[in-house]
Amino acid sequence: MNRAFLKIITVFWKDMLTELRTREIIISVLVFALLVLVIFSFAFSIATDMTETVAPGILWVALTFGGVIGLNRIFAVEKENACLEGLMLCPVDRAVIYWGKMAGGFTFMLAVAVVVTPVFLALFNLPIFLPRLALVIVLALVGFASVGTLFSALAVNTRARDIMLPILFLPVVVPVIVSAVKATGPVLVGGPWGDMLTWLQIMIAFDIIYLVVATLVFEFVVEE
Amino acid sequence: MENLGYLLAAYAVIWALVFGYVLFLQRKQRKLQRQIDALKESMEK
Amino acid sequence: MNSNHTLRDSILWGLGFALMIAALAMVFVYVPTEKHGGIVQRIFYFHVPVAWVAFLAFFVTFISSVLYLWKRAIKWDAVACASAEIGVIFTTLVLITGPIWAKPAWGIWWTWDARLTTSLVLWLIYVVYLLVRSLAADPARGARYGAVIGIVGFIDVPIVFLTVNLWRTQHPTTIIFEGGLTTTMLITLLVCIAAFTVLYVILVIRSAGLKTMEAEVRRLRIMKAE
Repeated sequence: MNRAFLKIITVFWKDMLTELRTREIIISVLVFALLVLVIFSFAFSIATDMTETVAPGILWVALTFGGVIGLNRIFAVEKENACLEGLMLCPVDRAVIYWGKMAGGFTFMLAVAVVVTPVFLALFNLPIFLPRLALVIVLALVGFASVGTLFSALAVNTRARDIMLPILFLPVVVPVIVSAVKATGPVLVGGPWGDMLTWLQIMIAFDIIYLVVATLVFEFVVEE
Repeated sequence: MENLGYLLAAYAVIWALVFGYVLFLQRKQRKLQRQIDALKESMEK
Repeated sequence: MNSNHTLRDSILWGLGFALMIAALAMVFVYVPTEKHGGIVQRIFYFHVPVAWVAFLAFFVTFISSVLYLWKRAIKWDAVACASAEIGVIFTTLVLITGPIWAKPAWGIWWTWDARLTTSLVLWLIYVVYLLVRSLAADPARGARYGAVIGIVGFIDVPIVFLTVNLWRTQHPTTIIFEGGLTTTMLITLLVCIAAFTVLYVILVIRSAGLKTMEAEVRRLRIMKAE
């Protein structure tokens, strides 16, 4: 068990180092997410006075689209540098590779969220320190990472790879998006935990189910 | 008999798609049959 | 085709034809007009079976996908793909007949209720299933990837339904189908469901058979080239 954990950390750390050295990628994704945030805020503020109602939706559109772009990187990086075969030759359980990659994808999206969320809160004149929002974001991003890592491995070997991941990923994570938006609402207005509870439960269930399913099924995607 | 148009439209769409698929299958079968015949010929040579 | 198949096919075709004629007769002659819905309400008798068949089709794809990843027999992949194709066609029909019924009945084309929204998400997931299969680098890969998507996608369905349901019960602008089903309505509906299920079975057997043949032709061509 410990050995597997160490191997996961190794895969994870390799990706982190790579990303740190090629900072342009994360910066570009960050800029993209910020752009989505601004454009949507702009579009909806013009269209309606009820910006507080649409605010949660705007945040999650930005995090979702930024997330999809980021998730693409997980395996695209390997493919571009012809490292995919090398990675697969490692005598490790495929599930280890999955968890290492998933942790990397999650961290990447979390880094984007850490920057985008305060900007969002400031744009809407909301309090910056919202620990409950952090919980919602973490739960949702785990859901994104669990599905996204699996599909990223799949999409990387398909023609039209860049558009394949988004169209695979987005319909499947609809429950996460709905739950995240519904859970964010009470947080932004200081509402009670009770309003959020069902949505948090759905996200937790989704995360567990898909982490298990993806772990089981990942080997079939990367087998040669 | 208001809304008769809607009723007919709904049923028409259903039959159109179902029959469309059946036709598609027919055409595929014919194409496959041709390919199999061609293969058989070339294998006998 | 051995004689077993021909007998089976004849039975299926005969049964299907009889059921369809019975269904049509019942929907247009036997069942009385529902008092709230007017004649447009009769769309219900085909809309519901079509939705049922779509769900059945995707369930079959799920099972065949699991079987394919386990046994790797081409026939399971053929069934999975054929069933997904048919599922997409029938989901398209749900998404078209639903609004056609809703507009005259309730005045709106669309509502984000649980069943309709789940159908839409389902449609998107399986259209992507078909796309991935056609864009895969080779057919074996396409089969594998399809199987993964067939499994992951189907598991999502109850989650999506539950989530949207919870969302919508907070905003009751839902369209509720008033009144229960009278016995005549129930019998008509059951006959229609039976008719469409037989139609599904016929289509999936035919389509899967063709796909298996295609795979065989590909294999022979490769052999010949060697």
